[in-house]
Amino acid sequence: MKKINLYLLEYALGYIVRYRAKNIFIGVVLTLLIAVLASFFFVQNSLQYELASTLDAQPQIIVTNQKAGRDTTVDEKMIEKLLTIKGVGDVTSRVWGYYEFKHMNAKFVIVGIDTFENQYNTTLADIANNGELNASSMLIGEGVQKILNKSYYRDYFNFMTPDLHVQKIYIAGVFKAATTLESNNMIVMSKDTARKIFGYTSSEATDLAVSVTNPDELSAILVKIQNLFPTFHVITRKDFKIALQNQFDKTSSIFLTLFIITLFTFFMIVYDKSSGLSSEEKKEIAILKAIGWKIEDVLKARLYEGLIISLVAYLSGIILALFFVYVLNAPVIKNIFIDYNDMTNDFVLPFVVDYETLFLLFLLSLPVYMFATVIPSWRVATLDADEVMR
Amino acid sequence: MIQLKHVSKVYDNNIVALENIDLEVKEGELVILKGVSGSGKSTILSLIAGVLKPTSGDVLVDKKHIAKLPDHFSSQYRRDNIGFIFQKYNLIPTLSVWENIMLPLVPLNLDEKELQEKLMHVMNMFTIVHKKEVLVKKLSGGEQQRTAIARANVNNPKIILADEPTANLDQKLSCEFIQILKKLKSLHKTIIVATHDPLFFDLDFVDKVIEMHNGKLQRQSVVCS
Repeated sequence: MKKINLYLLEYALGYIVRYRAKNIFIGVVLTLLIAVLASFFFVQNSLQYELASTLDAQPQIIVTNQKAGRDTTVDEKMIEKLLTIKGVGDVTSRVWGYYEFKHMNAKFVIVGIDTFENQYNTTLADIANNGELNASSMLIGEGVQKILNKSYYRDYFNFMTPDLHVQKIYIAGVFKAATTLESNNMIVMSKDTARKIFGYTSSEATDLAVSVTNPDELSAILVKIQNLFPTFHVITRKDFKIALQNQFDKTSSIFLTLFIITLFTFFMIVYDKSSGLSSEEKKEIAILKAIGWKIEDVLKARLYEGLIISLVAYLSGIILALFFVYVLNAPVIKNIFIDYNDMTNDFVLPFVVDYETLFLLFLLSLPVYMFATVIPSWRVATLDADEVMR
Repeated sequence: MIQLKHVSKVYDNNIVALENIDLEVKEGELVILKGVSGSGKSTILSLIAGVLKPTSGDVLVDKKHIAKLPDHFSSQYRRDNIGFIFQKYNLIPTLSVWENIMLPLVPLNLDEKELQEKLMHVMNMFTIVHKKEVLVKKLSGGEQQRTAIARANVNNPKIILADEPTANLDQKLSCEFIQILKKLKSLHKTIIVATHDPLFFDLDFVDKVIEMHNGKLQRQSVVCS
């Protein structure tokens, strides 16, 4: 195998230094572009991981009642009927909903639990096992605590019920959930307390969580539920994931399209900049040819230059993106994906970086950049050296 | 060794640089091409170096048709056979003496020891070794020329082509260059110098002086040494 020509590499490095103004400009712009693209992918990966973890904590099947095509509450009496279906393991009524804290422009998710019930996810099961809840207390997520503290609600919070009564609920503690997205804006209280805040009657629930004994029978059970209750809307965890993935893909594709247009505009600028090689640069190529360099030697040198610049830009871009996403928590870019509320946006992104993403970034940046720089040099290198030197 | 047969060269702008030239240079000869600017001297050198192709006619070096070589082989031919000393030296001003002289050897990927030996040899031969780390742009005219000569000789070529080598030098430095030519001639190099400097015309070690005018050979005089 032919060994790497270190002299050529040294020449390429020297060339970068000698034409540093141009190369620094290109390097910095490429670094920033890679940093933006990498940040986008890192945020996307982290959010997808976070949401996947959150969704894994969801029930296998959720049954909601609908009126006029919109979700409405479900009567707990339905639980008995659902349990008659063969293959259904357990059915739990869920009392949950959003509570808007207009003063801070934030939205909380209130989840009601009964400690004696089987919980459908580990966070709620842990809270239920601790048994710290009573009729006038609640446990809050870390994000909720931050928001309430800002408004000096350190021990309690006054909820406004739909009939405009104030319901004072004491903060019994702060819980830590499996995912930050889940814990960020969640408030857990007893089901009866939650019902009061939402204005539900004592047998009303938001929806029903159904678990099946054999996951392979999920679709069959789904059909059975749908046949038994044609007006009900039955959704599986998988459906949720698909819906969320679609939402992600939509956001990603818009951003990615815009980004790729920007990236290619940049490469066209680079191409144009390289095509317009200065007379000094053209002369240098001509001299090299006149003293015996082949076109391939000139191109190899340019490839090395491109490789050095783009590799440095790639690594710097990745480091910048890691800092931006996992130290600064990706301001702005995170908001592209999340359109909930201020508090939701405040959660910390988990560190998720995979090789595929890094490789994709590598493919998007290095070869295209190198291609954009080599072609103009090839055009000059194929000219008669004599013509350029005269 | 070098033969030009019925060679004509017309540039793209229809300027006739050479018209039906016949020329023969034997191995180890030192030939002076004399003539005013635009007479076609530099074009002849470029044709022999293979950096230009004739419009018609043949250029043969060691019986090989240089003009018909594709770009790849033409570069290889230059690398193996030609040392070109350009009128304005054509050095890369932002590189050091050492780096400039090394340029023809870069694609060869020689081992460190061999490379060092070749470089030291030519730098000593042309007394520029003391300036090896200095950037070319900081050198005097004479030093730049010695660097250019060292670069032209670093690959030990059989043929040395010098285009107006003393055009930018004072008389003392021109005389120094002539001594270098003598040294190269003693090494049995085939040398062609294109010049209009009268210093070259009466040298006792020159084999042939050829006068050119408007792209044609006017007169060949053989100098008997």
